[in-house]
Amino acid sequence: MSAMLELSDVEVRYGRLVALRGLSLEVHKGEVVCLIGPNGAGKSTAMAAIAGGVPRVAGSIRLNGQELPARKPEQIARLGLSLVPEGRHVFGTLTVEENLRVGGFLRGNARESAAALERVAGYFPRLKERWTSPAGRLSGGEQQMLSIGRALMTNPRLVMVDEPSLGLAPLIVDAVYEILLELREREGLTLLINEQSSHRILRFADRIYVIRNGTIQLHGTAEALRDGEAIKAAYFGFKGTGANANVVEGAKA
Amino acid sequence: MINFLQNLIDALSLGSLYALVALGIGLLFGILRLVNFAHGDFITIGAYSLILPSASVTATMVIGSWHWEALIPMVCVIVIIVAMATDILVFRPLRRSSAPTLMIASFAVSYMIQNGVLMIYGARPKAVNLWSALTTQINFYGLREPVLQLVTIATTIVLMVGLSLFLKRSRWGIQMRAAAEDFRMAQYLGVRGNFVIGLAFAVSGILAAAVSLLFLAQTGALSNVMGVPLALFAFVAVVVGGMGSLPGAVVGGFLVGIVTTMLQAYLPPDLRVFRDAFTFTFVIIVLLVRPAGLIPSRSIVERV
Repeated sequence: MSAMLELSDVEVRYGRLVALRGLSLEVHKGEVVCLIGPNGAGKSTAMAAIAGGVPRVAGSIRLNGQELPARKPEQIARLGLSLVPEGRHVFGTLTVEENLRVGGFLRGNARESAAALERVAGYFPRLKERWTSPAGRLSGGEQQMLSIGRALMTNPRLVMVDEPSLGLAPLIVDAVYEILLELREREGLTLLINEQSSHRILRFADRIYVIRNGTIQLHGTAEALRDGEAIKAAYFGFKGTGANANVVEGAKA
Repeated sequence: MINFLQNLIDALSLGSLYALVALGIGLLFGILRLVNFAHGDFITIGAYSLILPSASVTATMVIGSWHWEALIPMVCVIVIIVAMATDILVFRPLRRSSAPTLMIASFAVSYMIQNGVLMIYGARPKAVNLWSALTTQINFYGLREPVLQLVTIATTIVLMVGLSLFLKRSRWGIQMRAAAEDFRMAQYLGVRGNFVIGLAFAVSGILAAAVSLLFLAQTGALSNVMGVPLALFAFVAVVVGGMGSLPGAVVGGFLVGIVTTMLQAYLPPDLRVFRDAFTFTFVIIVLLVRPAGLIPSRSIVERV
């Protein structure tokens, strides 16, 4: 089966700083793929590059076999790829409803986007309650829900969620993941999720990539990486000693 | 009392002109982080579009002699075209540039328009008689005011309500507000950045056209730098109101207009020549007390 999203040897620089060096990964239809890595590893840059927010100097990014245009975020949004950015980026002075409607305008068809609004409201009863309040007044968890709902309004096939747990209480994080999995089930979404920590991810993801220094250090199914030792080694960049070292070798084999 | 009321209406009338100019500047600043000093020269173009392009001393009305129902839309169209052409030719190639670069580019546009007008129309100011019927005074319980002052205030209110409805209710207005708050995020959601920016230039063009007609009807004189003081005072109004906040721009515009008019009316005659110094002192005091302006924008998010 060919990949829905395929990155090969993607390189991104900020000035002289190399943020991604030869990053390759793929996401298949219907999967939940997780990208984990420490701060500054390049997770957010990878998502921004896919969504067209930062230019790449080398490599290719394909969606359903088609090369994505670089630096054309508004076009990429129309191809069924949506980003829920780190820090949520809700439009604080716009109401909840207006935030969602911004996501629906690219459909062009008013009736269709009204139907989408109805459906999204159904997934997030809490947002329905805050319908006319400015998004800036919502709690962090509500803003995260809004950001996800807004991405959903663009009618995406693949949703990229950048650190959904950032700054949220554990209970809220669980709720966010529950809704993401529900959306995957009911909307047939494919998910690519960035996280810094791995233990929760291991329960939700199908496959995991560990990224450090702008390149993939390790990847495998969540099943194979379950005990976490290999992830730890790849994440921190050392092999460990004794028994741990064996686990790393074993996971890679 | 009557005297004070008369001064107050004058103040509101001047304030509403500043508010309209400030809205045009504030709108573009919100979306583009562009302080558009050429906005005043859009006003100049609107005014000059009424007469025949020639260097002769007397002005020959062309569009200016049309019925107002045709004149107003025509001037709007001309200024919109100039504003959008400015965006496409100058600001679009600079889309990823820093805010100071954009501001300096707007100075360049401003000088180009001023000197273009100078080349085509000549250096001497020209007297123009637009809508002289509006200068007749109406008498209301001893209050004598030219109709024009009231028309100016009414036009401003209509335009402000219209703009506010457009921004709140229309799909384009909502996208414009989203883009003003977080341009990149709006793009990630499929909002077409260049289109929204072009639309903002068009709206600022309409505001500039309205000001050009109202201002010309009041002063009756064309000059190639007539828009400059308007843009300067409106910029001050935008800063006082709070950069990036449209209600702030309106409040700032009215405030600067009112302060200027009241100083003119109530300063001792010897000090009146220094009126603007007093106005700017007032501005400095406001900014010392509220550095972010009277109604600070809730989100001055630098674009990435």
